[in-house]
Amino acid sequence: MITYWTAMMSLPPSPSNTFDRLHPEIQRWIWEKKWQALRDIQHRAIAAILDGEGDVLISASTASGKTEAAFLPILTTIKNEHAPGLSVLCVSPLKALINDQFQRLDLLCERLEIPVVRWHGDAPQAAKQRTIEQPRGVAIITPESIEALFVRKPAAARKLFGSLRFVVVDELHAFLQGPRGLHLSSLLTRISDINPTRPRRIGLSATIGDLSAAAQWMNWRHPEDVLVLDSSAEKRELQLQIRGYEEPPPAASAAEMNLDEDKHSAIARIAQHMFERLRGENNLVFGGRRVDVEVLSDRLRQLSEDAAVPNEFFAHHGSISKELREGLEARLRKGDLPTTAVATSTLELGIDLGSVKSVAQYGAPRSISSLKQRLGRSGRREGSPSILRIYASERFVRKGDDPVDQLRLEIVRAIAAVRLLLRDKLETRAVDRSTATVVLHQTLSVIAERGGERADKLYRAICGAGPLSSFSTEDYARLLRHMAHPDVKLIEQAPDGAVMLGELGEKIVDSRTFYAIFPTDEEWRLIHKGEVLGTIPLSNIISVGSLILFTGRRWRVVSVDDSGKVLDVSPHKSARLPKFESAFSETVSDEFCRRNARRIKRNR
Amino acid sequence: MAKSPKIRTRERDTIIQALAAGVVPRIGLQHIQVGRAAELNALVRDIDRIADDGSAVRFIIGEYGAGKTFFSNLVRLIALEKKLVTAHADLAPDRRLYATGGEARTLYSEAVKNLSTRTNPDGGALQNILERFVTECVRQGEAQQQPIETVIDKRLASLRDHVGGYDFATVVKAYWRGSETGDDVLKAGALRWLRGEFSTKTEARQAVGVRTIIDDASIYDGLKLLSEFVTLAGYSGLLVVFDEMVNLYKLQSAQARKQNYEQILRILNDVLQGNVGGIGFLFGGTPEFLMDPRRGLYSYEALQSRLSENAFAVDGLVDMTGPIMRLQNLTPEELYVLLRNLRHVYSGGNEEAYLVPDEALEAFMAHCNERVGEAYFRTPRNTIKAFIHMLAVLEQNPRIEWRMLLGGTEIIPDVEEDVADDNVLDGDDELTSITL
Repeated sequence: MITYWTAMMSLPPSPSNTFDRLHPEIQRWIWEKKWQALRDIQHRAIAAILDGEGDVLISASTASGKTEAAFLPILTTIKNEHAPGLSVLCVSPLKALINDQFQRLDLLCERLEIPVVRWHGDAPQAAKQRTIEQPRGVAIITPESIEALFVRKPAAARKLFGSLRFVVVDELHAFLQGPRGLHLSSLLTRISDINPTRPRRIGLSATIGDLSAAAQWMNWRHPEDVLVLDSSAEKRELQLQIRGYEEPPPAASAAEMNLDEDKHSAIARIAQHMFERLRGENNLVFGGRRVDVEVLSDRLRQLSEDAAVPNEFFAHHGSISKELREGLEARLRKGDLPTTAVATSTLELGIDLGSVKSVAQYGAPRSISSLKQRLGRSGRREGSPSILRIYASERFVRKGDDPVDQLRLEIVRAIAAVRLLLRDKLETRAVDRSTATVVLHQTLSVIAERGGERADKLYRAICGAGPLSSFSTEDYARLLRHMAHPDVKLIEQAPDGAVMLGELGEKIVDSRTFYAIFPTDEEWRLIHKGEVLGTIPLSNIISVGSLILFTGRRWRVVSVDDSGKVLDVSPHKSARLPKFESAFSETVSDEFCRRNARRIKRNR
Repeated sequence: MAKSPKIRTRERDTIIQALAAGVVPRIGLQHIQVGRAAELNALVRDIDRIADDGSAVRFIIGEYGAGKTFFSNLVRLIALEKKLVTAHADLAPDRRLYATGGEARTLYSEAVKNLSTRTNPDGGALQNILERFVTECVRQGEAQQQPIETVIDKRLASLRDHVGGYDFATVVKAYWRGSETGDDVLKAGALRWLRGEFSTKTEARQAVGVRTIIDDASIYDGLKLLSEFVTLAGYSGLLVVFDEMVNLYKLQSAQARKQNYEQILRILNDVLQGNVGGIGFLFGGTPEFLMDPRRGLYSYEALQSRLSENAFAVDGLVDMTGPIMRLQNLTPEELYVLLRNLRHVYSGGNEEAYLVPDEALEAFMAHCNERVGEAYFRTPRNTIKAFIHMLAVLEQNPRIEWRMLLGGTEIIPDVEEDVADDNVLDGDDELTSITL
């Protein structure tokens, strides 16, 4: 598919042709807007949506007219349909985006006499009510509002979503990872189930490293059927380097790591190399754990200060507050100040970053598809290569050490990863860690929607298709048994076998917070001058005067609010590493391990 | 039950057809009913009380397949014979006693759609009842030399004492005016209003000129008005039969269940205190609907105290005066009589034409017992079905002897219908049979 479109691109574009195929009223609207021409991605999307029958994934950078690329042909298609029920459901992750999109579509739709309604918690009630009574046209909605409709007004949900032609997923990249994406995926499966034919899915994604994950998300069974329109799909040159660093002979214990000394340690030399090579451009540095990210960004900042230059290196991981993370993402996207983000897998998917000069990986990669995703961020500009540096630190080896201890395992793994990457051997369908959470949530939701349901039908509704189908029937039976446990009380069973909500399940479903799946773990919140820096686990033992390394900067705790779990901090000269999650969050696939083992055997 | 020597062919065919399909026949139930004489007598007394401007409420409680539907249909037929009007509906997830999203109105619509009289035992009697009322008024007006409108107003006066009665009377009058002036649109509007089919007040005002509708909150008031009206139209009263009450137990919100049980409490209070007349309620449900301490009727304190059964009526002793009526299982003797009745009906009441001798009935029961165990006494549905199938084969293949068939008769334990249905996913066995 991609090659086909690449070939098309080399032909002179035929603007008049695709333009002529739009509805006359839309053409007039475009004239009045005084557009000079349709953009390339819009031409291709119009042809793809008008000609094809399958799913289409449109990937382009922000502000490149993706919304119009999808909606001009969609509105052309549905203009002449008068069947009752909504024709288009457009799912968007944020209320603000919905309001923005509503404004962009409203005038155009009014001319076409196609009703368009925005549907989220704060949207006007009257318009929603009118749509429930006479559903028609386009609805722009959040996943949580879909959930609320299924749970609170199942009959209305069936009426609204029962004759859809298109499901548009805006900001698709934001749904590729984590529970919210799985949640939406399950909701879309349930929507497909109440339609006589599966509505076509149109995905709008920012440029991300590798679109195959997005295609898979859109069409789990047949990702190859998704027509991918990518503004930069041509093959790129890859420049690659694996750098090994040997630790100096061990002296002090590693646990009490002194952050300033040990100029000769592997990490110090790695930071030095990064500092020299990455400054002045936009780059991404990936570390496996939050601890690595903190240590690296701290050292890079220190190096900047020592050299008396502005710091360009910033930390990015899941514990850092949303505001700080988004600030960093925006700075990368804008690209006017050279910026290097030191990140965990948080920066890999789901975030619109623009493109970067190079990607560095601290420690051998643990997942090939992640590596491809990360690498895909670099070299997007015409003619510039993708650059990947893998930094591996290896332990100090003496002569006469045990042969097993002499193995350079990090380097072996880095080589194996690169080889797999070059052959495009990605891991198959990694199971998202929040799968069980979402399955549980959806079980409660489907029971509420249908008013009690048999276990096998629940399984089919939730795990019958999409990413949740990785959850086996055995696991599901175990999950149900646990949910029904007298101490858990989430569900109970009627004598005829129907699974129903239990005491606690009813309470949870009745609450308004049920519509959203967001984590609510309790953690220490770090605050400096009223700004939230982020959170660290409660397992850290904190008192006034404690030192913390966080966001790549060093802090001293000024006050502790035990009940509110708030730490007030101020900058300080030295710091200690806080504890984050213990293990690596990424898993390693079997194939990758086999490849590693083979390499070690061959070199022996 | 006494056997009439002859059973009409139409009746026989209907009965056999329904039983062979495992559903309760609508007519001729008296030919096959066995046992439960005490229960039936109690209900007959209830019906008499309703006809005598009294009221009654009963909860028919029995396991799935115990014959609740059969029993309530039988009661319904007796009520029709006694000149009552009956309204019946099954509860469902979208048909409840109380709701805010139109689910209660749907239940009301269903019940009124199924309104039956002796001449219209299959439902759809609303229009006939209205016609009868109008005709009666016209006749009286002519006899007493009064304007018909005055007669109608006089007759409907008692309705206006009830909640919402004024608009109800207005709609009945609108129907009369429609038939008087040949305005079919107005007539249809009045019928739609009475059936609870208007979902907005605006629609109702445009169609019949009243400012209220029968909505989710007012279906009990609607039923009371209806009972009053059928009495005015010359019937003895109204019997409302709500089956599948287990759907309330299955509601997935504690609050929704409570609101529905509050409606039952209202009905119960009205009936037990004698606030209403000419109306009776029959609720059919499974034991968990009644007993479950968390989601059943007993979860509602006020209902539990009113519905608790007579503590002395245990170990086979019965008290038929309380509102709870538990359907006892059929005894083997009763089942034997049931099979005899079936054989009798099958032959059209002709003893000469019996397809199998008495000895075959015993053998059939022994066979069932072997296959299914004592469960078949509790749920006669499949036993009846198998027996009818056997008779059908014997009838059409006269050369075959009943003994040859018996070994091949499969009887499966009775289970909820949709368990066996549609395609079950491979490897789903664990989930289809899961117990939590």
